[in-house]
Amino acid sequence: MASHDESGKKSNENEMPTFNAENLQSNMKVVYYCRTFMSIIGGVIAGICGFTGLMGFVVYVLVMAITSVCLTARAGFSIHSYFDSWNRVLLDGFLGGLLSFVLFWTFAYDIVHIF
Amino acid sequence: MAEELVLDTAIRDWVLIPLSIVMVLIGILRYFVSKLMRTTQSPDAKIIKEGSVVIRARNLRAAAGFIPLKAFRARKVYYTNEENGLLHVPKGQAQNPQAQMFSDPNMAMDMMKKNLSMIIPQTLTFAWVNFFFSGFVAAKIPFPLTQRFRSMLQNGIDLSTVDVSYVSSRSWYFLNLFGLRGLFSLILGEENATDDTQRMMQMSGFGFDPSKSLGAEKDGLDIVQHDWVLPKFEQRAQAVLRKRLSS
Repeated sequence: MASHDESGKKSNENEMPTFNAENLQSNMKVVYYCRTFMSIIGGVIAGICGFTGLMGFVVYVLVMAITSVCLTARAGFSIHSYFDSWNRVLLDGFLGGLLSFVLFWTFAYDIVHIF
Repeated sequence: MAEELVLDTAIRDWVLIPLSIVMVLIGILRYFVSKLMRTTQSPDAKIIKEGSVVIRARNLRAAAGFIPLKAFRARKVYYTNEENGLLHVPKGQAQNPQAQMFSDPNMAMDMMKKNLSMIIPQTLTFAWVNFFFSGFVAAKIPFPLTQRFRSMLQNGIDLSTVDVSYVSSRSWYFLNLFGLRGLFSLILGEENATDDTQRMMQMSGFGFDPSKSLGAEKDGLDIVQHDWVLPKFEQRAQAVLRKRLSS
């Protein structure tokens, strides 16, 4: 995640926050890429460690939570100058990576444990 | 039945990995083919004009608080005026663009081409998987599912006592189909043609845009309450400047 991708976009307005739509969208895209990548990595890790059933989904939620925390830290904990609400960075796209996670989890689990 | 089946290594080498690799390659191929086959549509002047009018009206609505009330009213009347307001579409004309869009041969050809480029590789791959890779257990999914999924996931395997977690290669194909979307969005950048539902929504939404959205924008502008966000902003600017200068 290069540092020039997340550009701040709140213009100098005292009460009403205005946002640059392009930057907001680009930030959202970065968040999406991060989540997808982390869900793939998380799937491989869960498969290699041999988690099955509910434990695997717990790993997914854990990986997503870690991703959220890291994204928040990257934004310097001042969410409002990069995104328009907390939900965007914490919850948005939470379930989007689930299918990729399951695919790579199955793949790694099978390769390591079954075969 | 909690026995652990031990599966042949050959299955892993010759089924799982090749299937995944083939699907990734087909996805990449489809992306490049659709990029090459994209006919440059000569833009229709009327549609672009209407589109930019809609965008301007939307900007006006969004930034209504930043201009004084009289200026906002003047602009609003310019758009929603009954005789020659930009957003006012007389009833007779409203139907035409829709019908024209559908009978326009170019648009139909384009939509058909895009749909075909989506459906054909999927169908071919599915037929190939069914033909070659059926009748054996291909993978074990790491989480348990209920018995109702058995017929869906284990269609080639005719033993009813095998655990539902052991699935056939058809379900591996579907798992790949959905799971590789994320991977494609990482590899190919944002513009990739693998998410078919999203593109079909885009395609169907584009045809209706000009005629309906004008009316929608007009209604939106009518509803807007002007909220003057910068009252007394001269005093505020003065206060800020004073603070700056004094510190």
